[in-house]
Amino acid sequence: MHLNQCLARSIRVTLPARRLEGDPRALEDLLRTGQVRRAPAVSPGTPRPLSTGVPRLDAALGGGLVRGQLHEIVAPPGAGGTALLRASLGAATRAGELCALIDPADAFDPRPAGIDLRRLLWARPLDPVQALRAAEIALEARFALVALDLAQMGPAPRRPRGMIQVVRFEKRPPSPGASPWTRLARRAEKHGGALLVLSRTVQVGTFASATIELERGPSLWDGAPGGPGRLLRGVRAVGAVSRHRRMPPSSPLPLHLPLEAP
Amino acid sequence: MPRIACLWVPDLPLCAAVRAEPQLAGAPLAVVQAGDLGGRAHVLCATPIAEGVEPGQTLAEARAICPSLVHRNASPERERAAAQAAVEAAGAVSPRFEEAAPGLVYLDAAGLSKLFGDDRAVARALVAAAERVGLRAAVGVAAGKSLALLAARAAAPDLTFEVTRHGLGGGAFRVVLPEEQAAFLAGLPLLALDLSDELQQILRRFGLQTLGEVSRLPPGPLAARLGPEGAILWRLARGEDATALTPHPAPERFEEGEELEWDAQSIEPLLFLWKALLDRLEQRLRSRGLMARELLLRLRLADASWDERAVDLAAPAREVAPLLQLLRLAVEGRPPESGVTAVRLCAVPVPEVLDQLPLFGPRGASPTQLAAAVGRLSALMGPDRVGQPVAPDRWTPFAAEVARFAPPPPPRAPEAPPPVDLELAARALRPPRTAEVRCDCAGTPLLVIGEGALGGRVVASAGPWRTVAEWWTDAPLAVDSYDLEIAGGLLLRASRELSSGSWWIEAIYD
Repeated sequence: MHLNQCLARSIRVTLPARRLEGDPRALEDLLRTGQVRRAPAVSPGTPRPLSTGVPRLDAALGGGLVRGQLHEIVAPPGAGGTALLRASLGAATRAGELCALIDPADAFDPRPAGIDLRRLLWARPLDPVQALRAAEIALEARFALVALDLAQMGPAPRRPRGMIQVVRFEKRPPSPGASPWTRLARRAEKHGGALLVLSRTVQVGTFASATIELERGPSLWDGAPGGPGRLLRGVRAVGAVSRHRRMPPSSPLPLHLPLEAP
Repeated sequence: MPRIACLWVPDLPLCAAVRAEPQLAGAPLAVVQAGDLGGRAHVLCATPIAEGVEPGQTLAEARAICPSLVHRNASPERERAAAQAAVEAAGAVSPRFEEAAPGLVYLDAAGLSKLFGDDRAVARALVAAAERVGLRAAVGVAAGKSLALLAARAAAPDLTFEVTRHGLGGGAFRVVLPEEQAAFLAGLPLLALDLSDELQQILRRFGLQTLGEVSRLPPGPLAARLGPEGAILWRLARGEDATALTPHPAPERFEEGEELEWDAQSIEPLLFLWKALLDRLEQRLRSRGLMARELLLRLRLADASWDERAVDLAAPAREVAPLLQLLRLAVEGRPPESGVTAVRLCAVPVPEVLDQLPLFGPRGASPTQLAAAVGRLSALMGPDRVGQPVAPDRWTPFAAEVARFAPPPPPRAPEAPPPVDLELAARALRPPRTAEVRCDCAGTPLLVIGEGALGGRVVASAGPWRTVAEWWTDAPLAVDSYDLEIAGGLLLRASRELSSGSWWIEAIYD
């Protein structure tokens, strides 16, 4: 085996290179007897997690959004779920990573600064099935962060128990499948991208490696009610990592979400 | 010493037919030229399996000789695409090439030894490049264009009939080295040259049969008797080829075409056709290291008019499946006015962008992968719904557009991301939702009646902020905007148009 091949296979060479060049079978003997071993120093290490843009939340997540895993933000309207999604995209794109935003609600506003839009692919699917397929395609293309915004897509209405379903011979709407999250988790793990899902209620469940829950606090207003100088200044919220595969749930993190003038 | 290679595709109509329909390769096939005004069809060329079928026979005669004969009409669209493919095969080997006729390309083979090796390796590479685009080629390499063509014609008897997954294979080559040139020419019959009939007859009357006999004649008297043609013939017989190569620029478009024997009235037969055309385009683009930046579709309709449409690609691509889906979307969205009799697909190429994969960091998206992903997403949801988000340069609240996704290269040394401010974001409602808003006597909103959850008692509000836009037009837009908090916690941005008094909700703060 040539020395370059040894280096390419991340094997630590403990003998002088001259001896290996002269005797190509020496390394095979050393490999057989276990005198050479894989060097952890040159093997690819664990890739750095992606920041959410909120250092305290990164710490609660054990460094940030882990590549190759699913993460979920569960937040009611006004609690800052979209703000956290934007902050994660902003942190990743400004670090030079390529990101994809799957936005079936067509709700993204590109005007506010903070996201390097050149590194963001914006896809606007027409229905949830297309959204899940689009997320799968983006993960297969090795985008570092794929954000799936399901915040404006309400949960399917539950059918009461004991009700007989009338079967009609008509074209049914496309179904996302039995478990799209299993498929997406496999895609994320295989291709090394992080998938961040924003929803109003828990959607990903146990398929997510971490679930971030946000609670809405009071809104902040300036000026007297009805007065001419009254302004919406922002919102207070509380965030917490409610579930994590390798870490205990975090304590509540108070968040202040100021509002910039649109 | 100049070295010229000649790539010649004999029986171009036959190659074009098998290239378009590879399943015909094993059948006794003949390509026929339909006669004018209902005249008899004549055989142009036939596969060796069709024993006894010769060019010039009528179709009836050919069928009488070979009852299992399969015939196809000569198709200018197919032949044009096959000739283009031959040019691209030459371009894949050398950047300096000249198309002398359909299926006949000369290229400069000097200096290719570092890439391929000796002349034989260059010729072998040309044969392989032609096979990759589905063509069976005879290749000759010699010191000049005429000599290279003679060498290619000398290689033609060695051609075999092989079927490859791209079309026809079994090419052959002949290399004429400088020291072999005299011997090669001496044995060539004069019939191998494209001489006029009159000159052929004169030479026959002189008792000349080969080029070697011509080369032994004195040049002066030969030129005196035969004129300039005689002088050229004498120089060629001695291996002095003065014709220079005139390189052509690389083709700006890659075209594939097909004609239908009937009018296609639905999308299904066209899909089959496009799939075959895209397969061939993909092979040609891949052989040149190119991708399609834009796809042009031309449909010849039953009334002989052409329906042209451009399929805009969000990113360069050459994967067949997404391109096929995009074509389908383009035609289904605006069906042609009548049946389709011929299809022509044209790809505008751009160089494939390759990048260096990192040694130790995680592997990111390559440009090819990105292009394919954008193509697949465009095919899934439409090209106008995928791309880089941009804010339009005009005053429209929460407006957004998509532009072509062309990310800059990744930074050399990735740094820790700078801190990001967590700010309340606006979720745009596109289009804005209309609502009914009840106000008090001072104009302060009290109740919002909107669809779904976008309604309720107003617990806090701010505004109005008046904006007048497009005041330079006849229909200026004047609105009053409000921030509203609905009972239940929903924060809205609502606006009232001053002229009509109608309200709409533009965004939700989240």
